[in-house]
Amino acid sequence: MRVLAIESSCDETALAVISGSGSAWLLEKNAVFSQIAIHQKFGGVVPEVAARKHAETIIPLLTETLGENKLSEIDYLAVTAGPGLITSLLLGVTAAKTLAYASQKPLLPVNHMEGHIYSNWLSNEDLRKNDKIYFPSLALVVSGGHTELVLMKGHGDYQLLGTTLDDAVGEAFDKVAKILNLGYPGGPIVSKLALEGDENFYDLPRPMLNSGDYNFSFSGLKTAVLYTLEKEKNITQVAVKNMCASFQAVAVEILVKKTIKASKEFQVRSVLLAGGVAANQKLKTDLKAVCEKNNLPFFFPELKYTGDNAAMIAAAAYYKLQASSNEALVNKNIFSLSVKSNWQIFNK
Amino acid sequence: MQEFISHNLADTEKIAQALLSSLAARLDSAKRGKSILALSGNLGAGKTTFVKFLAKALGLEENITSPTFVLLKAYDIDFADFKKFIHVDCYRLDAKEDLADIGLQDYVADASNLVLIEWADKINNLPQQKVLNIKIEILGETSRRFIIS
Repeated sequence: MRVLAIESSCDETALAVISGSGSAWLLEKNAVFSQIAIHQKFGGVVPEVAARKHAETIIPLLTETLGENKLSEIDYLAVTAGPGLITSLLLGVTAAKTLAYASQKPLLPVNHMEGHIYSNWLSNEDLRKNDKIYFPSLALVVSGGHTELVLMKGHGDYQLLGTTLDDAVGEAFDKVAKILNLGYPGGPIVSKLALEGDENFYDLPRPMLNSGDYNFSFSGLKTAVLYTLEKEKNITQVAVKNMCASFQAVAVEILVKKTIKASKEFQVRSVLLAGGVAANQKLKTDLKAVCEKNNLPFFFPELKYTGDNAAMIAAAAYYKLQASSNEALVNKNIFSLSVKSNWQIFNK
Repeated sequence: MQEFISHNLADTEKIAQALLSSLAARLDSAKRGKSILALSGNLGAGKTTFVKFLAKALGLEENITSPTFVLLKAYDIDFADFKKFIHVDCYRLDAKEDLADIGLQDYVADASNLVLIEWADKINNLPQQKVLNIKIEILGETSRRFIIS
């Protein structure tokens, strides 16, 4: 089986091809065109610019990825149908629908967050070969738009245990970066400065840490950063570094503690980290340490698969297509696919 | 223009409730035909909190999470003539954008949508006759001024 996946949910246009059978599969192609450099000068994503760039890059990228043969050796197409920016998603979904219908190939819509979870299958051979012994697994999905604890009982079988009640943790990093005038995207900059700061310098609140459930809240933490800094007369470089370190330590502590608590209650056999914030070194190190202490196998994606990419969408599609009743759309039904900008993985 | 002072969360909830009921009853001419709420206030002013109270008063049981990353989230409601609550956050936009560019035109055109927009000053061509502005000013740690115009 050979699957071509298209991903355009935010500011990357990406294509990937996976082929194989059963647990023996190979990522043949993986191409990403990133718009971060373009959006950096605006300090955020500009939807119209993003959509226009997707339109410009998607066809050349397709030719580059598949050569002149294009779709002749592809069995299935897959596309990110949500969640994400509507205008960006539309480009990828429209391209995929057109290609699938014109070449008479089945098309499978894939959830972007499910893709992030499958970045672990791309990165860990052990998981790829022996995944049965690692289910049920607990996935901590963290990105600019999501903070979720998901119980994964098997391929495609998810239960939401908790979610943020307001801002995502990646958004909190971005907003703290904006408060500190550090640029976009904020996460990597805050983490870098945190390395040189004292994480115990500022005493920030730990929202929802003892809420008794698996939900999160990061809006108030961002506000606490703002108020704490307002009390300082002049904000030095050292203060900025200390704030980055203190904020990051609190955010990571909340994520790690809730993850471990859930892993015990649901007696999972592994923990997976997924999403853009999986690139955060402190989160990886701290979560790994506490998983080891609890004898829990811990998987995280390689850095190159933490950002948005189509390889993870192809991997998720590959496993979904192995299921006895796959949900790929054929012929005229292809046109019934619409963009689902708020799609949750545990909802069909 | 109306002004309300909130000293605590309970006050803020009452302001959200009063705003919605006057919007629904179309009591005064200032609120007739208004279906866009343009919410402004600095980071930390309490926009998230206010939106949560609005959602509660609208009868929404779902939790309202930040639409910053995806720009907008839509929720089904049944409140007065409104059938959908559209929560938009333009925080990530830095350039002046048009409604159509961010996919908002169709939502705004439909009068059965109650559209709440945070950081609305980043959009160029909002139909001003439909807009009710809500500004939150920070007075102290927990007190806020709401200016509705």
